[in-house]
Amino acid sequence: QAIDDDCNQTGQLLAAMLDWPQGTFASRVQLEDGAVRVEREVDGGLETLRLRLPAVLTADLRLNEPRYATLPNIMKAKKKPLEVIPAADLGVPGELPRLRVLQVQEPPARAGGEKVENVAALVEKLRHCGRI
Amino acid sequence: TGSGPRTAMAVAWRAAPRVAARLLLGRRGIASCIDPSTGLTEDQKEFQKVALDFAAKEMSPYMAEWDEKEIFPVEMMRKAAQLGFGGIYVKPDVGGSGLSRLDTSIIFEALSTGCASTTAYMSIHNMCVWMIDTFGNEEQRRRFCPSLCSMERFASYCLTEPGSGSDAASLLTSAQRKGDSYILNGSKAFISGGGDTDVYVVMCRTGGPGPKGISCLVLEKGTPGLSFGKKEKKVGWNSQPTRAVIFEDCVVPVGNRLGAEGQGFSIAMQGLNGGRINIASCSLGAAHASVLLAQEHLTVRKQFGEPLANNQYLQFRLAEMATRLLAARLMVRNAARALQDGREDAAVLCSMAKLFATDECFGICNQALQMHGGYGYLKDYAVQQFVRDIRVHQILEGTNEVMRMIVARNLLQG
Repeated sequence: QAIDDDCNQTGQLLAAMLDWPQGTFASRVQLEDGAVRVEREVDGGLETLRLRLPAVLTADLRLNEPRYATLPNIMKAKKKPLEVIPAADLGVPGELPRLRVLQVQEPPARAGGEKVENVAALVEKLRHCGRI
Repeated sequence: TGSGPRTAMAVAWRAAPRVAARLLLGRRGIASCIDPSTGLTEDQKEFQKVALDFAAKEMSPYMAEWDEKEIFPVEMMRKAAQLGFGGIYVKPDVGGSGLSRLDTSIIFEALSTGCASTTAYMSIHNMCVWMIDTFGNEEQRRRFCPSLCSMERFASYCLTEPGSGSDAASLLTSAQRKGDSYILNGSKAFISGGGDTDVYVVMCRTGGPGPKGISCLVLEKGTPGLSFGKKEKKVGWNSQPTRAVIFEDCVVPVGNRLGAEGQGFSIAMQGLNGGRINIASCSLGAAHASVLLAQEHLTVRKQFGEPLANNQYLQFRLAEMATRLLAARLMVRNAARALQDGREDAAVLCSMAKLFATDECFGICNQALQMHGGYGYLKDYAVQQFVRDIRVHQILEGTNEVMRMIVARNLLQG
């Protein structure tokens, strides 16, 4: 997920453009011969995929334990050059940005619930609003 | 959560890393009045973050075991040295991190939340490397500093003797010049790391009585005539061995003398300025950790149908602890700034900071223990170890009585 718009699309877009398999939210990666076994963190739990190489992987925070930064490196970080490359120099066609934010709004406020008399009434209500 | 002994023990074991985690969380969102990162630069916040992370993961889970089994955690310290903690204010050309005294104070304060005793030893080690870096010639710096900064070798500082503690200038260990060497005779007491460390920075008498007759020699373990007393049994600081260091006709090359003959006492005093800030910083870390432990306990423990945190007396006590902690921290950081800026009043400020912080922080840790009730007295709980470990900070690096002498002299002889 990009730190600016949080869109979670770069890895996926890249895989599609390259026509390579993708293993996103990887929490465990095992290289095999010509392939990679990727354990993914998905909403329902863990999913394991076996992808032929080359492939695109994106990392979940559970993939590894970050190293400690060393004191000298922390001091060097400030002095590292920040190179700005215009998109045109990289051969990116067309006008950027391609996404325009039209509107940002809060989700609707959570309305209060409703108490029903008995189970039969509950079932009827649920049926009525299409939940079952 | 129940409040019986088994749950309490589970809380205690889990509390240590959680305390350190809360030190991190506190900085990310909730503005705490005792947040140790306030007023720091971006770089300093980064140093602090690394040190707190390291303390939480590599020290906190083991501090009880190191204390109980009297383990000198060499592997952990070498890991710390890889991050640059072996020579924090030593120049980079010999492997140090080249940071300021304030940066150093922040780092030791953070590491101390994981284990005050081991951090205190690391600060002594750092002081020794700094002495060689600052007063040694090029050859000595290159010979000793790199392996000390990486903690491939460890250092000990030898000033105190059985007959001279506060009256350090009256030391008796003699170094008689004989050709290209000194012949060292005498003994040192209470040496942190003694027997387990490799490099000994020794203050000894090459000249007449008093401070002007004292020089500084560097000895290595294995020198014939160098031996050690028994390992002392201490109330705290158990993760570092303490032994007497004995010199019997030790031959030390003149090339191992730091600075000029007669400069030793000055070297010692300058080393102690930084050493006092570092020890005070260790007390700060222990006190902060103890305040968080007390805070946790007050919210969890119930009596008379309510959490202890609802009790106004305890609320007021906690507020006092926090206030004193902040005051102590500001004094220490103020002294660190004065020292790194080379101000004239730096030495006396270091003494004031050491006096105030070590006294106040011991009081804070002790209060925190009291708030834990009976559980505070059990070794399953970290708070008693902080109390035991920092008690000695009021005694070494110059007793708090000597600190008062220094401050009084500044006030009455000016």
